[in-house]
Amino acid sequence: MSSPKISRAGREITKGATTADKILLIALIIISVSGFIFIKKAFPEGTDVKIEVNGKPAYLLPLNVDKTVSVKGINGDTIVEIKDRKVRINESPCPNKICMHDGWIQQGALICLPNRVIVTVTGNKDRDNRKIDAISG
Amino acid sequence: MGMTEKFKVKSSKLKVLKTYAFYASALLLFCSIFILSACSPQKEKVYRKSKILMDTIITVNVVSHSAEDANRAIEQAFSEIKKLDKFLNFFSDKSELSEINRNAGKKPVRVSRDTFEVIEKAIHSSEKTNRAFDITIGPLISLWDFHNKVKPEEKTIRQKIRLVNYKDIILDKNASSVYLNKKGMRIDLGGIAKGYAADKAVAAMKRNGIKSGLVSIAGDIKAFGLKPDGKPWKIGIRNSRPANEDDDIMATIELTDMAISTAGDYERYFIIDNKRYHHILDPKTGYPADKCRSVSIIAKDGFITDSFSTGIFILGAEKGIKLLEDMGIDGIIVDKDGKIHTTKNLRGKIEFTKDQQGRKRNN
Repeated sequence: MSSPKISRAGREITKGATTADKILLIALIIISVSGFIFIKKAFPEGTDVKIEVNGKPAYLLPLNVDKTVSVKGINGDTIVEIKDRKVRINESPCPNKICMHDGWIQQGALICLPNRVIVTVTGNKDRDNRKIDAISG
Repeated sequence: MGMTEKFKVKSSKLKVLKTYAFYASALLLFCSIFILSACSPQKEKVYRKSKILMDTIITVNVVSHSAEDANRAIEQAFSEIKKLDKFLNFFSDKSELSEINRNAGKKPVRVSRDTFEVIEKAIHSSEKTNRAFDITIGPLISLWDFHNKVKPEEKTIRQKIRLVNYKDIILDKNASSVYLNKKGMRIDLGGIAKGYAADKAVAAMKRNGIKSGLVSIAGDIKAFGLKPDGKPWKIGIRNSRPANEDDDIMATIELTDMAISTAGDYERYFIIDNKRYHHILDPKTGYPADKCRSVSIIAKDGFITDSFSTGIFILGAEKGIKLLEDMGIDGIIVDKDGKIHTTKNLRGKIEFTKDQQGRKRNN
């Protein structure tokens, strides 16, 4: 006796919900998707400058913040400079200064062998796929 | 009347329930987008670590589902390299190699299996290259100081060159001993140890269940398996005479289950009177070999690519390509004029960067 009445009521509610709730649902989808896009754009992977001394991590710095740090290596201080999303070794206590000759880099690594300092820029994921995995020579 | 009131209550309750259901489904959707957008922990990734060992930079790449597995394999690879460096370091007084050199002309020295094996393999490369590659070059290497631009006297070179001949290495497999026949002889494994270490590092990774990875010890690289995107590893070959910063790669090649090494005259050198003196010495003359600018060798084993890149550099393009093709090994040779020679099998497999197209010439 009551069952047909309930089913009618159910239909009525569904009918009412479709407009408002559909809008809500679509809004939620848009917010969540655009949120992902925003996060990926605002914080792209591979903007970190990692500095290691003798195999141990010493610094982890963002590439988009200008900063100069003095890194204590085994022979003295290596000065690492980050500026305009580029990084270089500005001063080094090693004899050959090979690391300084490399100049500014945006990706890859700067290495000071005698002072045991490795500066790595971790590459963007998309760029990594096209990038070379290793260099011979 | 009672009927309608009852109905109204039911309807509002349902409406609340319905709203909850929508929030729940939206949340579910949000989560599923999260999972789909590559946050899944099961996905394969390349784990990478660099260390300074063997007086150079070493990078180990491992493809794995788990960071834990990857790190364990990476550490195993590094400890293998560290062990070899302890045995084979020319500059450390404590190495087995130094003990062999100290006892030259005195007595045989009992060594580890690794040290014995690498010397045995080096002798094999000496035979194959008709002594263009020779690890007994130690006394000559010590005469040249590329850092302080010291060119040795002709007379001194002539004296020391008599000590250079791999045939004066006496191996005793049963005793696992190495003996240098002449006093003053010195073995330098700089032209083979890194390639050999790359082989051992890869073997260590495989023992740890790793299916794909890459180890690069300076310019000596060994790769196996495929990257997470299903592609082989892409290796760049350094340009010996880059015109500018963006010109540092001459060519690229995709490799899997292969090693590659490059010997170049640009690594350690000085220039006097427009002549380039570099670190790749011809064991027969005592002077830097002048037939090539760079030689890259591709083969299964790192100890072959490492020693042959040096040996072929000394032999030159003509003899080099012939020897490589006879042995079924691949190579890219840039001769002293900058012309590029490749073995037949490599054609179509190397991708030259734009600037190099004009200089390319196949044999």
